[in-house]
Amino acid sequence: METTLHSLYLGFSVALAPANAWYAFLGCLVGTLVGVLPGIGPLAGISILLPITFGLNATQAIIMLAGIYYGSQYGGSTTSILMRIPGEASSVMTCIDGYAMAKKGRAGAALCIAAVGSWIGGSFGVLVLTVVAPPLATIAIRFGPPEYTALLILGLIFLAYMSSSSLIRTLLMACLGLLLGMIGIDNMTGHFRYSFDLAELGDGIGIVPVAVGLFGLGEILSTPSADAVKEIITPRLRDLLPTRKEWSESSMPIARGTLLGFIIGIIPGSAHIISSFLSYALEKRVSKHPEQFGKGAIAGVAGPETANNAASTGAFVPLLALGIPTSPITAVLIGALMIHGVSVGPTLVNDHPDVFWGFVASMYVGNLMLLALNLPLVSVFVTVLRIPYAYLYPLIIMFCIIGVYEVNNSIVDVWIMLIMGVVGYALRKFDFDPAPLVLGLVISPILEQSLRQSLIMSNGNYLIFFSRPISAGLMAVSIGLLVLAAYAFMLKRADWRTKLAEAEAGEAEL
Amino acid sequence: MTIRADHVAGVFFIGFGLLVIALSGDLPTGNLSLPGSGFMPKIVACLTIFFGLVLALRARESKPFATLSWADAKHAVLVVAITSAAIALFERLGFLTTNVLMIFALLAVIERRRLLPATIYSVGVAGVTYVLFVYVLKTPLEAGPLGF
Repeated sequence: METTLHSLYLGFSVALAPANAWYAFLGCLVGTLVGVLPGIGPLAGISILLPITFGLNATQAIIMLAGIYYGSQYGGSTTSILMRIPGEASSVMTCIDGYAMAKKGRAGAALCIAAVGSWIGGSFGVLVLTVVAPPLATIAIRFGPPEYTALLILGLIFLAYMSSSSLIRTLLMACLGLLLGMIGIDNMTGHFRYSFDLAELGDGIGIVPVAVGLFGLGEILSTPSADAVKEIITPRLRDLLPTRKEWSESSMPIARGTLLGFIIGIIPGSAHIISSFLSYALEKRVSKHPEQFGKGAIAGVAGPETANNAASTGAFVPLLALGIPTSPITAVLIGALMIHGVSVGPTLVNDHPDVFWGFVASMYVGNLMLLALNLPLVSVFVTVLRIPYAYLYPLIIMFCIIGVYEVNNSIVDVWIMLIMGVVGYALRKFDFDPAPLVLGLVISPILEQSLRQSLIMSNGNYLIFFSRPISAGLMAVSIGLLVLAAYAFMLKRADWRTKLAEAEAGEAEL
Repeated sequence: MTIRADHVAGVFFIGFGLLVIALSGDLPTGNLSLPGSGFMPKIVACLTIFFGLVLALRARESKPFATLSWADAKHAVLVVAITSAAIALFERLGFLTTNVLMIFALLAVIERRRLLPATIYSVGVAGVTYVLFVYVLKTPLEAGPLGF
């Protein structure tokens, strides 16, 4: 514990250095804008703005990008409450009761509770991260190829199981991502695979062009400007404070959302999205007045908003301790650190303590900055929503092009982004969620290498995954999840995941 | 029989899996004790075919293909066409000229905005971004024949 406190002191000395604090502030500000603007989610936002961090050192870059990530979670609630448009997917549930509250003239209170809940959820997440990540990293050093293989397989199956779209659709997207990740030189044999004599494809397809194409350009292609006009409710500053009754009704949802969000956050998948849906369902289940949900229940804002921020922070635990991305967003963050020459994994805490602890401490600072930013400046952020979409999307396309080109100075990457934009458009038409594709792309090289190394180690005996305690445990959980999914499928029973999907599609009853 | 969205998607993924296997012909599969470079792609391609098949077989749960809305397709095609032209010109004309032209084209052709506001906006936005990246963030952007 003493070591942790000492390390945290080091972290705060890094995070509070004027330059680093400035980049944390900038990240939070830009992240809030990214969250406020409909159509640019945190993934596209981080990918597009990645080149801005090229001139910074690794610590400043990760501090700024993480600020964009959790800032967008805060900002997403603004459009949900004021316009009934989720700024990003995890804010979908906030639309229901947040907008209903805004219609009743309680927009300010909803925004305040969302901001306070987000701060508590985010801060609790960082606190647990501080305590849990270093010992977990010590254990992870003992992981060999079979353990990594089992962990990544579990990650994919968990993602498919937890996904609100169907298991088959999620697995298909993950397979597509895995196949894309195999383009380029095979690390173990040196063979060129599917590179069609293009030297640029020798290093494989990058995360950034795929993520920006699927989530940034794909969204623009699906959204003609005529469809993007909405009424905006502007809250008055004096109405921002919730009443005593509203505070009291929010306290337990915030507490439950914090715990639920953090736990879901450390599980692979689009955790921040799933956590907000589950939190809403939980609050409705435990409420004494479930009939008020959908009509402006403050618990329907407090729970989901807290949960998605706690989950965003929870997602950093496997990232920092194991070097394994549990979501496409953390995958892009790993890519960003790699660009700066920092390898993420169990050794990060020892090899780059300034990056690790500076980053952790910056999240404490960043969460406070967001609280200070979001409440007084809400009317400023709302003004951004008044920019006509017709003028906004050309700007986003320009940033997509810069963002992708600047990573490798490769025009081939920009063409890949365009192709992935068209793919993203088609996937939306056929109700596929592109997020597992990006995750598959990121874990593909690690999964392939660890699988092949495991088989070589065991002379072709695949029982190696069941003969070592950690990998056997992870494989057992994977098999358990598959059995559960098959059981629900055979009984044709609508379990909580089906209800979640229905809610996501039409905000139906949970 | 009504053709449904998942029939089309399933057939696409089956075809894609078969294409990957065909393209993997010259990659050695190896064996379990020494997997080759074609080992993993072929496994994943087979899984893609299997899942594609399951998707097509369960297609009755999806919407009829004919009911999919393509109202946004014209917008999408135009955006793709203008962006493609911009990407093709990017390394020849440089960041500034290409983006001024691209933003202007998106506003004038797709959004039917008046030429003067479209011109002012495209020059202003691309110019400010150029200054921000090159002079403030010290991140060089692709230069054209005129040096910017």
